[in-house]
Amino acid sequence: MATGKRRSATLLLIAPAALVLLVFLVIPYVNIVIMSFRPPGEGAPYGVGFTLANYRKFFSDSFYMLQVLNTLWIGFVVTLSCLLIGFPVAWQLARGESRLRPLYYSIVLAPLLVGIVIRSYGWTVLLGNNGVINRTLMGWGVTDGPLPLMYNGLGICIALTHVLLPFMVLPIMSAIQGIDPSLEAAARSLGASRAVAFRRVLLPLARPGIQTGSILVFVLAISAYVTPALIGGLRVKTMAVTVVDALIDTFQWPFGSALALVLSVVGATCVIVFARLTRMRWKVA
Amino acid sequence: MTEVRISHLTKSFGAGPVVDALSLTIGHGEFVSLLGPSGCGKTTTLRMIAGFEDADSGVIAFDGSDVSRVPAEKRDIGMVFQNYALFPHMTVAQNLAFGLEMRKIPAAEIRTRIARVLDMVQLGTMTERYPSQLSGGQQQRVALARAIVIEPRILLLDEPLANLDAKLREEMRVFIRDIQRRVGITTVYVTHDQAEALSMSDRVVVMFGGRIAQTGAPADIYDRPATRQVAGFVGQVNVIEGVVETASGEGGHVRLPFGTIEAPRIGAATPGARVALALRPEAVSLVPPAGAGWQGRVVSRHYGGNLVDYRVAMADGTVIHAQTFPTTQFEPGAEVGVHADAARLWPLGD
Amino acid sequence: MLSRLFTGYCLIVYAFLLAPIFVVVAASFNAGNFLTFPPQGLSLRWYVVFFENEVFMRAIRTSLWVAALTACISTVIGTAAAIYAVRHAGRMKDTVRVAMLAPLLLPEVLTAIALLFFFYAVGMGTRTMAGMVIGHVVITLPFVFMNVVASLESFDPALDLAARSLGAGRYARFRRIMLPLIKPGVIGGALFAFIISFDTFTISFLLKGIGTSTLPIQLFDYLRTNFTPEAAAVSSVSIAMTIAVVVVIEKVLGLRIHRF
Repeated sequence: MATGKRRSATLLLIAPAALVLLVFLVIPYVNIVIMSFRPPGEGAPYGVGFTLANYRKFFSDSFYMLQVLNTLWIGFVVTLSCLLIGFPVAWQLARGESRLRPLYYSIVLAPLLVGIVIRSYGWTVLLGNNGVINRTLMGWGVTDGPLPLMYNGLGICIALTHVLLPFMVLPIMSAIQGIDPSLEAAARSLGASRAVAFRRVLLPLARPGIQTGSILVFVLAISAYVTPALIGGLRVKTMAVTVVDALIDTFQWPFGSALALVLSVVGATCVIVFARLTRMRWKVA
Repeated sequence: MTEVRISHLTKSFGAGPVVDALSLTIGHGEFVSLLGPSGCGKTTTLRMIAGFEDADSGVIAFDGSDVSRVPAEKRDIGMVFQNYALFPHMTVAQNLAFGLEMRKIPAAEIRTRIARVLDMVQLGTMTERYPSQLSGGQQQRVALARAIVIEPRILLLDEPLANLDAKLREEMRVFIRDIQRRVGITTVYVTHDQAEALSMSDRVVVMFGGRIAQTGAPADIYDRPATRQVAGFVGQVNVIEGVVETASGEGGHVRLPFGTIEAPRIGAATPGARVALALRPEAVSLVPPAGAGWQGRVVSRHYGGNLVDYRVAMADGTVIHAQTFPTTQFEPGAEVGVHADAARLWPLGD
Repeated sequence: MLSRLFTGYCLIVYAFLLAPIFVVVAASFNAGNFLTFPPQGLSLRWYVVFFENEVFMRAIRTSLWVAALTACISTVIGTAAAIYAVRHAGRMKDTVRVAMLAPLLLPEVLTAIALLFFFYAVGMGTRTMAGMVIGHVVITLPFVFMNVVASLESFDPALDLAARSLGAGRYARFRRIMLPLIKPGVIGGALFAFIISFDTFTISFLLKGIGTSTLPIQLFDYLRTNFTPEAAAVSSVSIAMTIAVVVVIEKVLGLRIHRF
């Protein structure tokens, strides 16, 4: 039968993608784990043999521990603010009757199409000591000196919230679009107030979207590099910034790998705990 | 014209066979319906004839040559799909031209053949429309035109009328049969609608559980069903069980729980044997109560316009379904005499 | 009243979303030496400075090359994988999907680091543009894949059977039926891949070869030490290019889609 031949022909379709992912994703990720156990090298990015020294260095220095906690805190704040800001917008995009809805939708998508460097740069223009906000406030006489909006955790959170908001809005929007509008009507017809219908019917059904959005935003926030690097400057560093600096500026590849892996494991643990707490049902995209 | 010969066709998907050693011959230019409930294997059979599914075993031959290993695109079939499967990015004319282009027909001939077929399905003015701009009935006719414009050896139709509303469905039955007669093409028609199968086909094949339960002309299937299952699936039926009292030739005297009847065919010649007789509701008539014959009481009445449906409880509690013209009507609760047309009694196998 | 408040709230969010983009574009027309807002008079001088800056111009060319190359490779590989996932993978479908989306689920910075080490480990290093293009292909694959899968899922498999019943072979069915119908998804995926490659920073930053800085890298380097409005001009041009790509493709695709 020709079936066997046909099957091997269709395998050719997936072969290039499988090869790319195996060679350029799986193997490099395995390699990074190995790297984290390498000793530092002399005149080279890493030495030969294996050691636990990189992890020991991390766990014995409270500086790095505090930085991980700080990064997680920023991730948490950004996720929460994205949820609070994003949910009403997602609702409006999914259910609104405005003729401007296509415009609103493209406004939500627009930041995705503008490079992250440019968006972060835009925030430095807004938040800097000489920036738009401070100049305006001082011009109105609200404050005497510039407010510290940049080079701190607040600035990073504001900019990251902006950068990651679409990742919260889009999943929630599609979840709400998947809810039959007559369910709300049914709840109302059974005597539920608007608020009750929202809490008892809409919110539980939109939960998968909220979960997906929250996880996406959290993971992207704790691993973000550009925004913290530009807004935080040299004063506030998140883990991703420290990791990249360790690799690029000081060439400590093994230690940088260990830092990156610790952050990944901690981040993944947070996601799993979150999924457990909110009784997430894993579903493939 | 082509003769299709299917022998011992078997196909399984995981658990148990969907089509089980099915054998069937469809003659030149014959219109055969595969009729059965969903899951009976009729669609799988059609897809195997088309070449979309490979049989596990068995042979499908067109005019004596085995096509089991021939891919669908080389079998020279025309198929009408349940949802029509019109190419949404092509106009009506492009849809029709597609199969001809695959056959490397010259452009000029393609044009004339499309014009001729569109004329036949009365869509001559719709050539430049896209499928989304057509009504359901028009899409249906384009699908039919696309299947026959390539002048295939066999026409396969997979529940083509299922998505149309009732009125249009009846019109299309006549329309499709008319076109099929004019083109004279061997046709296999899959449906779960017994009215469609009976009204359109030369021959009906009733299928249950992957096997053929009965094959025959529409009137054979309806009046002389082979089994209870066939009788129950094709139209409505009363199945009355009784015991043979005396037998003479093919017929005999049968004792029923609520009376007796002289049946011209009983299927079992020995007195004392149990028999099951099929009696169509329209072969039962109701009369004002009289001394002789069966007696019953009307339990319910449903008015259906041209016919009235009655459920009548007999003396022993058996409920008989009767269908009569609305000329005389009986109120629920009324005592009635029940008369069965003995010539329409048919003995059922198991 | 409540709905007014609600709409007002949403409008504020939209303003928040547009604000940084808006100030960048506005600042680029600033006449002064320093970035201020509102601008001190209108001028195109920073655009002139930008267009005369060979470093930035080379970076733009590099970015366009890398993006075009990435889009081509990603689209071919991702489309093939999507067709496999939807039409042929059978029970493996979910596995294929998760695997294809993996680059999206993994932190970009980690993927970049992993690739950097890998290229050194295999002796390839980052001397050429190849490493960067490979990195871009890896991170853009999921976008092509998702787009094409979405359009394939609205593709009725009966159309393929219909074409077979009409005598169309494998190639004719692909070219005449499937490809035209999934084209919006394929072009959309290619467009996505192009824009993401054009804009992405972290992976380029770590994998860039000598003299192969892309525009975002050059801009980032520049911003670490400079605050002149030239950066705003660079950003505005970059934004304009992205919008142009979106609009052009939208027009082309839009026309096709509305015809049926």
